Amino acid sequence: MKKRGIGYASTFYGTGYGNGFPDISRAIAELGTDGNIYIYVGATEVGQGAKTILSQIAAEALGVDFSSIVFICEDTSITPDAGTAAASRQTYNTGNAIKLASEKLRNEIINILEKRYGISTENIEDYLLQVAKLNGDEALRMDGIFTASTTEMDAETGQGNPYYPYTFSVYGIEVEVDTTTGIVEVTKAVCGQDVGRAINPKLIEGQIDGGFSMGLGYGIMEDINLQSGRIKHDRFTSYLIPTALDMPDIDKIIIEEPEATGPYGAKGIGEPVLVAVAPAILNAIYNAVGVRMKEIPVTPERLLKALKVKERGV
Amino acid sequence: MKKIALNINGEEYVVDINEDMRLIDLLRDKLHFTGTKEGCGEGECGACTVIMDGETVNSCMVLAFQAEGREIITIEGVGNGEALHPIQKAFLEEGAVQCGFCIPGMVLSAKALLDKKPAPTRNEIREGISGNLCRCTGYNKIVDAIDKASKYLKEEGETK
Repeated sequence: MKKRGIGYASTFYGTGYGNGFPDISRAIAELGTDGNIYIYVGATEVGQGAKTILSQIAAEALGVDFSSIVFICEDTSITPDAGTAAASRQTYNTGNAIKLASEKLRNEIINILEKRYGISTENIEDYLLQVAKLNGDEALRMDGIFTASTTEMDAETGQGNPYYPYTFSVYGIEVEVDTTTGIVEVTKAVCGQDVGRAINPKLIEGQIDGGFSMGLGYGIMEDINLQSGRIKHDRFTSYLIPTALDMPDIDKIIIEEPEATGPYGAKGIGEPVLVAVAPAILNAIYNAVGVRMKEIPVTPERLLKALKVKERGV
Repeated sequence: MKKIALNINGEEYVVDINEDMRLIDLLRDKLHFTGTKEGCGEGECGACTVIMDGETVNSCMVLAFQAEGREIITIEGVGNGEALHPIQKAFLEEGAVQCGFCIPGMVLSAKALLDKKPAPTRNEIREGISGNLCRCTGYNKIVDAIDKASKYLKEEGETK
């Protein structure tokens, strides 16, 4: 028999390294001798969209077009350390460093225009080459350093301020459980994700879809099957991850509540979009068939066993 | 050694191969069509998908000699290097690419699907790419992109 159920789960997630670990991002904004704006930053693009978002922040802070930004990242011989692309920290932490560097560069360009040319303007875009030429072979460089707020928790009491800021999210998920086979199919999903401010809504949607599929795999499919310290499911034939057929379309609600300390109010969402998926699925399974699963992944074998136990009333 | 003739992206090739050479190694190592990616090497992930006589195959599971006399399309044969193919354009517009490793295979699976079925439903699109694993995107934007590409191809057909 197929039974449907709905489950919800919500999370709040502190971004950044946390627990007092030094969390520093550095960036350089430069007016090159060719009149282009160069941003140098060690942030790594792994497909999440860091290059796009960080370029958007630079363009906004400088007041120039997105296409005038030459974004140089990852090359450690010429870029300053911006920390890892981890802990959902690049948009907020490195975004802040880039915003600081870009604002400094913009102010310097405005100063030069006023002092050297007597031009008082807020629109620097048309004068970039003119200002660049003043310095001869030397590029105009400004750095930005952002240090995240974090303190170590008290080992005894657990008190402290380990993370700042926090991101909030909630999932509502509908599943269909086949009580004969134990197979769980996710049929519908809705995600409400607090983002502070959506620098790039399409990239946020992409993160939600991607996080959802990881959470779905985590909840009902992906089992590394550790035996005596060895991973038995070490290939895709045994370690199953979701395919396009396993994914539902997701109704996405992006909630904008600007974070005062974020670049233009933005916060990180990379990991938060994944966290609540598995618990929401497990709640939906409970709602559908009345068994409270406490071990993941909820594979068909595990669920059938739990259903049998419930039937016998043990 | 064995000499075989095959057509890749509309051009004829005659190449010497070892009998145990896989198609992916012929494409990547010998002919330098490096757009084809090797993921798992055992036919599960679909990263190495190419089109052979209109059907998608995992090029890690096909031996090179099996491609004798066949027509192969790799990602280099989609679009012309200058202009994007409508599928590629739709992938960019919909934000369907994240890390990108699965994308050559995804685009070819999408092409094979749309060549056979120009106006697929969302579920048929999901089926069409179900042999291609993606860890980043959660597939939905890829499905959106293929849906959009099918409309672009329809418009293209109408204007011709």
